[in-house]
Amino acid sequence: MQIRFKVYWRVWKQVAINALQIAFVNRATNALFLTGKTIRFLVMLVFLFLIKNNIRTFAGYTSDQVVVFFLVFNFIDSTTQALLRGVYSFGEQVRSGEFDFLLIKPLNPLFRILSGQPDIDDIIFLIPATIVSGYLISTLDISLSISNVLLFLLLCINSLLIAIALHILIVSIAIITTQVDGLVWLYRDLTGMGKFPISIYADLLRFALFFIIPVGFMLTVPAQVLMGIKPSIQIAGTLLVGVGSLGVSLIIWKKCLERYTSASS
Amino acid sequence: MKKYLRILSLSWQKGLVYRADIALWRFRQFLNSLMSLTVWNVIFAQGNDLFGYSKDQMITYIFIAAFLQGMILATSLHGLASRVYSGEISFLLLKPITLFSYFSTEEIADKIKNVFFVIIESLVLFFLFKPVLIFPEGGQLILFIIWTMGGVILNFIFSLLFGTLGFWSPETWGPKFLFFIFADFSAGKLFPLDIMPEIIQNMLFLTPFPYLSFMQTQMFLGKLDMTQTLHHSIVLLSWIGILSFINHLLWKKGLRSYQAAGQ
Repeated sequence: MQIRFKVYWRVWKQVAINALQIAFVNRATNALFLTGKTIRFLVMLVFLFLIKNNIRTFAGYTSDQVVVFFLVFNFIDSTTQALLRGVYSFGEQVRSGEFDFLLIKPLNPLFRILSGQPDIDDIIFLIPATIVSGYLISTLDISLSISNVLLFLLLCINSLLIAIALHILIVSIAIITTQVDGLVWLYRDLTGMGKFPISIYADLLRFALFFIIPVGFMLTVPAQVLMGIKPSIQIAGTLLVGVGSLGVSLIIWKKCLERYTSASS
Repeated sequence: MKKYLRILSLSWQKGLVYRADIALWRFRQFLNSLMSLTVWNVIFAQGNDLFGYSKDQMITYIFIAAFLQGMILATSLHGLASRVYSGEISFLLLKPITLFSYFSTEEIADKIKNVFFVIIESLVLFFLFKPVLIFPEGGQLILFIIWTMGGVILNFIFSLLFGTLGFWSPETWGPKFLFFIFADFSAGKLFPLDIMPEIIQNMLFLTPFPYLSFMQTQMFLGKLDMTQTLHHSIVLLSWIGILSFINHLLWKKGLRSYQAAGQ
């Protein structure tokens, strides 16, 4: 098992180095992407600070807490994008038959699909964004404790499991439909709703964002735990959803893989 | 005229081929509007006048911004640079119609489709939120329509300008991404540009971005006096003129060096 872990780590390291080299080849393009992401992050922060300066509470949360919801969203979302960007090109791999080459390799094909293209821009962006977020949180009126921070980190790992599960679902559907773009962007917009606490939305949407597409478990609960607010759903339940969704997505992946016809190659 | 109608009809049909993609795309737009409306409803629960907007004005802003995003910012020419780079435009160059007329007709078909869906989405949102919307008077409405047409032309020129990148490079996503960020920021559904600090507004007003939706929303909401209307009309026209000129030069230069490699 340890040997296999080493193999996967070596493969990922090589893939990441390749991505880094590609990023250096297309320096101008990547600089523009990085600039765009930074502007988007800063503009959203300006907007939230404007809200903070003009209103005292936001759907039962203080305006400082609303800023933290966004910072947590940004951290989890950027981490997910940095690691799982490979999914975006999977539709093309199925259509061109390139996916067959992943199937015959002595590695789990899901590993290559999900992690085959780490996003260097997001990795670079994450470093200053996390430092800025940490600084901002330290200036806000939020009570942090070590136990809450540790629980938050555990829930971040859980969020990554949920994100992986959702990405596995997307690639599973892509095997059948050969299309991935629409679903990936829908996922992005649904998670984008987690920039704000999920509890602000109408009942039906709130239910859907917790129990159909578990964005609430992924983004709202970790932020609540970090700030020491009673979470919308118990932590144990949230962890169960993380592991459960990954399990269910793997079963769906296997079923879909059985239906893969390799028609394009 | 017949050939234009034929292209319009074909582009319309082509636009509706991938129905699941359209449904997902429109659902995403719907979700974005839903998020904005929810956020501002929550914010305005604390007062009826914030950032220089009343609740009704802000909700109207979101509905109009959604309409303008479908009308102005959505375009069928996203992939133009790759069509140029791959040599696909060779087939269009051989047709008995100018390249720009062909693209314009494609755009019109796309706009009709977008506006159709935006109206349906807006009706659903209207019934969900039951907002009080503000409507402009006759003169303002006519100016709003004219400025919207101006915005459509401006964005069309931008799309063509991005298309010229394909003459020299396959790497077009970087500048386009930055363009989307600025367009989303200055014409976004989440918040209007004029709530931002003045320094950011001043910087953006040195660019054409506010004329891609924001100024149209201000016209609709009746926030501009006669002098401002005249000033911004001149600026909008100037941007269209300047960018058309640059676009003309770049396409001329690009087509001169175009080799249709691989075709």
